[in-house]
Amino acid sequence: MVAAADSDSTLAGKGGAVTVRAPVPLFRKPSVLPGFGLTLGFTLSYLSCIVLVPLAALIVRSSGLGWSGFWSAVTTPRVLAAFEVSFGLSFAAALTNALFGFLVAWVLVRYDFPGKRLVDALVDLPFALPTAVAGIALSALYAPNGWLGKPLNELFGLKVAFTPLGIAIALTFIGLPFVVRTVQPILQDLPPEEEEAAASLGASRLQTFRSVILPAILPALVTGFALSFARGVGEYGSVIFIAGNMPGLTEILPLLIVIKLEQYDYAGAAAVGTAMLAVSFVMLLILNLLQHWMRSRHAR
Amino acid sequence: MPADASIAAPASIRVQPARAALTEPAWVRVALIAGALLFLALFLLLPLVAVFVEALRRGFGAYWTALIEPDAVAAIQLTLIVAAISVPANLLFGIAASWCVAKFDFRGKNLLITLIDLPFSVSPVISGLIYVLLFGMNGLFGTYLRDMGVQIIFAVPGLVLATIFVTFPFVARELIPLMQEQGSDEEEAALVLGASGWQTFWRVTIPNIKWGLLYGVLLCNARAMGEFGAVSVVSGHIRGETNTMPLHVEILYNEYNFVAAFAVASLLAMLALVTLVVKTALEWRFGDELAASRH
Amino acid sequence: MAIQVSGITKRFNDFTALDSVDLEVKSGELLALLGPSGSGKTTLLRIMAGLESPDGGGLLLNGEEALGLKPRDRQVGFVFQHYALFRHMTVFDNVAFGLKVRPRGERPGSAEIKRRVTELLELVQLSPFAGRYPAQLSGGQRQRVALARALAIEPKVLLLDEPFGALDAKVRKELRRWLRKLHDDIHITSVFVTHDQEEALELADRVVVMNQGRIEQIGTPAEVYDHPASAFVYEFLGQVNRFDCTVEGGIARVGDGALAIPAQGGVQGPAVAYVRPHDLGVTPASAGPARISGIHVVGPDARIDIDLAGLTLEAEMDRERLATLGIVAGDRCAIHIDRARVFAR
Repeated sequence: MVAAADSDSTLAGKGGAVTVRAPVPLFRKPSVLPGFGLTLGFTLSYLSCIVLVPLAALIVRSSGLGWSGFWSAVTTPRVLAAFEVSFGLSFAAALTNALFGFLVAWVLVRYDFPGKRLVDALVDLPFALPTAVAGIALSALYAPNGWLGKPLNELFGLKVAFTPLGIAIALTFIGLPFVVRTVQPILQDLPPEEEEAAASLGASRLQTFRSVILPAILPALVTGFALSFARGVGEYGSVIFIAGNMPGLTEILPLLIVIKLEQYDYAGAAAVGTAMLAVSFVMLLILNLLQHWMRSRHAR
Repeated sequence: MPADASIAAPASIRVQPARAALTEPAWVRVALIAGALLFLALFLLLPLVAVFVEALRRGFGAYWTALIEPDAVAAIQLTLIVAAISVPANLLFGIAASWCVAKFDFRGKNLLITLIDLPFSVSPVISGLIYVLLFGMNGLFGTYLRDMGVQIIFAVPGLVLATIFVTFPFVARELIPLMQEQGSDEEEAALVLGASGWQTFWRVTIPNIKWGLLYGVLLCNARAMGEFGAVSVVSGHIRGETNTMPLHVEILYNEYNFVAAFAVASLLAMLALVTLVVKTALEWRFGDELAASRH
Repeated sequence: MAIQVSGITKRFNDFTALDSVDLEVKSGELLALLGPSGSGKTTLLRIMAGLESPDGGGLLLNGEEALGLKPRDRQVGFVFQHYALFRHMTVFDNVAFGLKVRPRGERPGSAEIKRRVTELLELVQLSPFAGRYPAQLSGGQRQRVALARALAIEPKVLLLDEPFGALDAKVRKELRRWLRKLHDDIHITSVFVTHDQEEALELADRVVVMNQGRIEQIGTPAEVYDHPASAFVYEFLGQVNRFDCTVEGGIARVGDGALAIPAQGGVQGPAVAYVRPHDLGVTPASAGPARISGIHVVGPDARIDIDLAGLTLEAEMDRERLATLGIVAGDRCAIHIDRARVFAR
């Protein structure tokens, strides 16, 4: 943000129409502030060393297999099953989070109750709690003799630990804050006047919710869903303890990569990793497009 | 003098005014609150409580023994060392990146911001994998490193690299929006008043971003100390040597040494709680001095 | 001569912010750069301060070539539009900043700094607020802190970017008078940027009217108001009636001859004529060519909308005169033009 809203230089430099029409002739707009070369140089070298070159190594390594080798490495039944487990359960967990995350955000924004600020702070727990800790805690809770595992098994015959359900619960745990923290600010900034207008026009509360609130929240909800989903696909620590890790049934993709590495199958691990990144990016792209489409429909 | 004194209000949580048309019937409100709280209790609170209960299952003595056992102490030390290297590294990077991104206009800026965020969308396991592919025995530089007698994978450098990768964006993504929002006016004013570049940075920029900086470092540190997937891949799980606390927890748990596993886990849980408390305190007290886009 | 600008040009991408601008600022004067947004006035000011570097041209500050100098070496005081006060420093520390950051050899002692800052805070009437933070001050107070801070480094030239832009109308007026008085006391060469013509005309010794990166006119407030050098200046300064017309033989005819205005300066062919509302006289005449379509009383003045053969004109007079004339909406009238300017189109 440039503070001088109507200063001439701002108008020239930031004027969308101006910059869009012609390509920027200069690499950088001159400024009196020092340190551009130093900081950009450091940023780029650090970024390259830590992120870009290593990620390129992943691509290079898996391309060493050749296309057919790559394809056969990522389409073995075990890998395909792991894809299904990881993406399917992450999807289910993200959906659960979309529902309950919205509920939590709604309650935190709209209602007052004792301990609200504490609850608000607690929502970030999955961001702060190391995944391994969450993993063993959930695993202990839902184990057949655990606090929750035992009654669930005895009352409903429901097995959670070492089943896909257990994985979904772990993924729900780590994905929840994404939904709450994307929906919450939007809900907070929703102008009450729109809802009042709807009410004054005779809409019931439920109708108002469906036709006024939900459309405004939906893009944020989809973002939260996407973030939660993406996090779930890559998650490792909180899942492996509760999953049971049976190939084809409860074996997630990241674990499969670890197993391949332990067997010194570097190329295979790289191939699965590349495929996983590729599928995640495509899905995120689709979700982004969907969200873009919704935003443009609900232009505010 | 002018009566338009706009005294800055302390950062406060915005409370929605209770408007008649905007409230649900009492039973609906109660049901929704109860549903949300029940969900949070079941999914968030209970696991947290379980950590401490399980850790103290055999009493305080067993708990303490698990913590002072040499392998546990080594794990704690290693975790602190890894964090002590990776957090300052990312702090330095975060400041440099936000300075060039927020204070200057140049081509490719948006691409740069996207790339800085990239590690967040990469699975932790892949974050470890990429370094194994580079520096592992069968990796691209594997033979070269072996000839040089340098070990990165299954050693501390690998742990540090993997940790730096997963915590890469924390400081930068907090500082960039904050510094963009603050603009460059104050820096320009300092320069016109005769300050040098360094003086401007230390006396004007740093004081303005200090709380955001602390916020970013706090989150970066929590993740650095708690990271599991990425370090698990590069560690080799050598007890007493390359085991960080989360990895130590895993080993103990897989050995059915639950009390010890949860004892070490409880330390990490306490770290998480301290992080949450400080983070929340920062948000309450200095909310307006943190990035507007914070979650 | 305090500031000499010669042939300064500045482009942002394909937008020309300044197009070969020449300007001389006299020592001790208070000069206004007046123009609409996008006219280049702020850019020119920032170039003088060294915050922006021009693509071409020259700049002398007190006779010395200044373009090669960094902002810190120019001895220029700059007051930012939104003040840019250091939000984490008290008023005192803000004002003291420029002294404290001097290299060790040139830095005054802390007692000397305290004396100077105290003196400056007295000058801007903010002594009781030395310990406050910028957020605890009103807009007008912040503005004066910014001024004190800029003066602390004893600049040779004071540059102010929209100094009153962020203030409400009443404070703005008060502060304007105060600044004029301050300038009369300390006589520092000052240049301020504004888009508010009233501000420029009231405050400045000389006004520079800018448009699209060029200077349209330089003159005293009276000169630019009474004798605008171009159509732009006429339209930008004050209310004006604008007519498209054709000039033949020294007479500008509007529409199909309903209005004839004497045109000077040898203009021929298509032209634009300007008449200020208070230069447009109205006399009641039952057979007059014009009709009063509306009267709006605003405070002590009256604005009269006149319909003349399809043209809409605006006249202005005080209420007393209106009462004397005794006209009401719907009346027919005759109009006469006391003063007008015609520019070729």
